[in-house]
Amino acid sequence: MKPTIRILIAVAALLPATQLLATVFQPTNRVVRQLSIEPGGSVWIDNPFGSIDVIGGEGSLITVTADRSIVASDAASLKEAADAVVIVFEGDSKVRLIRTVMPALRNAHATIDYTIRVPKNVAVKIGSKSADHIRVSHITGSVTVNGFAGTVIMEDVSGASALNVVNGRVIYDYQQNPIAKADVQAVNADIDVYVPASAKFEWLADTINGDILTTFPIRGPRFVGTVFRGQINGSGGPTINTATMMGRVLLLAKGSNAGQASSVRLNPKEHRPAPGDVMLAPAVKIQLPFHDGDWPFVASVADIAIGEIRGNAHIQIGAGEVELGAVFGQCYVTLMGGPLNLGDVTGLLSAHTGAGDILVRAARMGGEVSTDGGLIHVVYSGGPITLRSGGGDIIVGQTSGAIDAQTTSGDITITGDPRHRTLKIGARTMQGNLILNVSPRFGADIDATIVTSDPDVNEMHIDFTGLTVRREQIGAKTRIHATGKINGGGERVELYAEEGDIHISAQTITPVRLANPRR
Amino acid sequence: MSECGVMSENMPMLLTESLDPAQRELTHQHIESCAACASEWSAMKETWQILETLPTVEVPARVKQRFLAEISAASAVPANVVPFRRRSAARWLAEAAAVVIVGGSAFYAGHRTTPRIDLTPADARVTAIQPYSIAESRVLPAASISPTIEGRPDIENVQFSDASPSNQQIGVSFDITSHVTVTGKPTDKSMVRLLRYVMENEDKMSPSRSRAIDWVRATYSRVDNPDPEITEALANVLRNDEHQGVRIKAADTLQSMQSAMTDGTRDALVEALKNDPNPAVRVKAVEALAKLARSGAVLDPDMVDTLRKKAAQGDENVYVRVKAAEALSSIQPR
Repeated sequence: MKPTIRILIAVAALLPATQLLATVFQPTNRVVRQLSIEPGGSVWIDNPFGSIDVIGGEGSLITVTADRSIVASDAASLKEAADAVVIVFEGDSKVRLIRTVMPALRNAHATIDYTIRVPKNVAVKIGSKSADHIRVSHITGSVTVNGFAGTVIMEDVSGASALNVVNGRVIYDYQQNPIAKADVQAVNADIDVYVPASAKFEWLADTINGDILTTFPIRGPRFVGTVFRGQINGSGGPTINTATMMGRVLLLAKGSNAGQASSVRLNPKEHRPAPGDVMLAPAVKIQLPFHDGDWPFVASVADIAIGEIRGNAHIQIGAGEVELGAVFGQCYVTLMGGPLNLGDVTGLLSAHTGAGDILVRAARMGGEVSTDGGLIHVVYSGGPITLRSGGGDIIVGQTSGAIDAQTTSGDITITGDPRHRTLKIGARTMQGNLILNVSPRFGADIDATIVTSDPDVNEMHIDFTGLTVRREQIGAKTRIHATGKINGGGERVELYAEEGDIHISAQTITPVRLANPRR
Repeated sequence: MSECGVMSENMPMLLTESLDPAQRELTHQHIESCAACASEWSAMKETWQILETLPTVEVPARVKQRFLAEISAASAVPANVVPFRRRSAARWLAEAAAVVIVGGSAFYAGHRTTPRIDLTPADARVTAIQPYSIAESRVLPAASISPTIEGRPDIENVQFSDASPSNQQIGVSFDITSHVTVTGKPTDKSMVRLLRYVMENEDKMSPSRSRAIDWVRATYSRVDNPDPEITEALANVLRNDEHQGVRIKAADTLQSMQSAMTDGTRDALVEALKNDPNPAVRVKAVEALAKLARSGAVLDPDMVDTLRKKAAQGDENVYVRVKAAEALSSIQPR
């Protein structure tokens, strides 16, 4: 065997050994403590990292078993963590607080898993950042859980409960018919509730991104926004509220399974909801190179990226991002929130978002573009176009059609197609500058107004002659008004800017050339 | 005494604004170029500020009386002292005329008698360049100004002064609007400071503040590690700019500069997410925080709490809520 090969083999053999040298330390130690508690007392557990099992039973004692695990990269870090991470028992026989003191650790991670046996009638409060699970079982008192990540399991909890979870899952398993209110609020968690088939209660369920499913027949089902409300086995009984933003809600009668559950949404997939129902449509993600024909689409939450729609597009989305490369027909897109990125739209365009920017590369026939807040950038408009922003800049790279642009706060920049000697333009910003770039031969009847509290700062810059400029004081503001014809007159150009400048700039502009989208 | 020593002595007078303009300018220039003096000046200013916060203690009447008595005794002019008198203007003029005549004659004689010499260009000698200080008010010695006035600078509000006639120095003050182009790398500290200043303070930008933010974004997205001062400036724009379009762009630009984010920058994003009336600003802020969370950055409890509240806020724009939820899903509790 060649020496090189021998060396390589030796290195390969030694590699695991070096790993062993850097082995982390994972000692576990256990603390057991008994504490007295009065009937109906409270037990508070605050444990940032680690699982928590609370089990109700008889008697008047709390038995706490805590297993502490520390993972450290070296002995020094281990010792440091061992000294720093401690369990504190506070309170008295009315309220017991079991708390893990866990400062930020260097090169170490610690968890404490608790198993706590309590009298079943106590009130339980749990605070956690990250846990494999938090399980509360056989408790008749009230239960409050505030967790960030992990699975929360409520088993045979008959007292009132309030669960607040960010990430993970919630499983609520009733052994008996519910008799007290339950409130489950989650962000990115699925909620599963198992209830005896004979249970009678009011059910509320809410989700934006998921679905609401049940095996129970529901009396009086109705939606208010995204919140579903219905009665299980008739009116009366406690309220069970199950709300998760991005997860799904599942309510099962004991003895049935998830496969038998059906959606309570009024608008199943094949249904095309009215605009108000958009949040009840399923959430989807779509990425396609092209779609042949018309494309009607509705979703509550959706991210869409399609290269070409070879027909008309009719898109309604609650929240998401829409990116369309080209639409060969008319394009109707409305989002309650999210950015819109549209390519070459051959037909009329109607685009709206409740919040977010809109970019349109070409609106060949013009149309309407609006956002309740955000920037609008239309690279080219071939027809009359209306642009509205609830706050944000508006930029039109070049227009061959009439423009009507308004923003509550932001700059407006419009460039006229040099092939047109005149264009009808209306632009209004309640706070910002207005810039109109046109060719030197552009003709129009100009009516430009600035209203400003600082006339030294805000000015009218017009590259054309022949306009009459007047200044007048209106209260604390100055109104600068320019009127007249440029290059012999033409279409009306009405510009209005508050607390901003108006520039009408004559410059050589290269006309936009559009490629044939069908080629 | 070393230059630093002199400047150190000047600092107390600089604090009390009792230095003459030329000295003030020189001292400021030295402080800007000398780290040790800058540090001393900073400490001195801090002490001065602390002194201002101390309560005023009333001096006991007896002590005050005694002090005033001693002062008046010391300031009494002894009989053997002859006070200086201001020289008359006529004498000044005569002296100036003499200087002009002598100087002019010498110049004329020199030009008439000295043969013309063509100087061959010598190798350029690199000397230390005084840093050009961009300041609200500057005092420049005439020797440091080129005698050539280029173009037609817009000069206004001209005033003539002769602060101390004894030293033959006169002054001409004016406001000048001149166009200055500062060139350098985007990472040069002076360039960063200049950009920060204009972003935070300058309303008039050509063509607009929005476009200026676009430019900053385009420039600093090419830089590996943008200076945190740039993100702090953008954070201040996000907090304070009245124009919603500008705030949207500031938040959007911050999103692209994750590596330079400071605590202050993150706080500005959280603040914008909580309170900005424009939904697009909130969208950009939550997107920036979501990106931050995805990158594995540790978000402080206030940020996490804000994201939780936003996700649950029924009347918030649904896209903001979804993005807040997305950000939360990326957070690993620490």
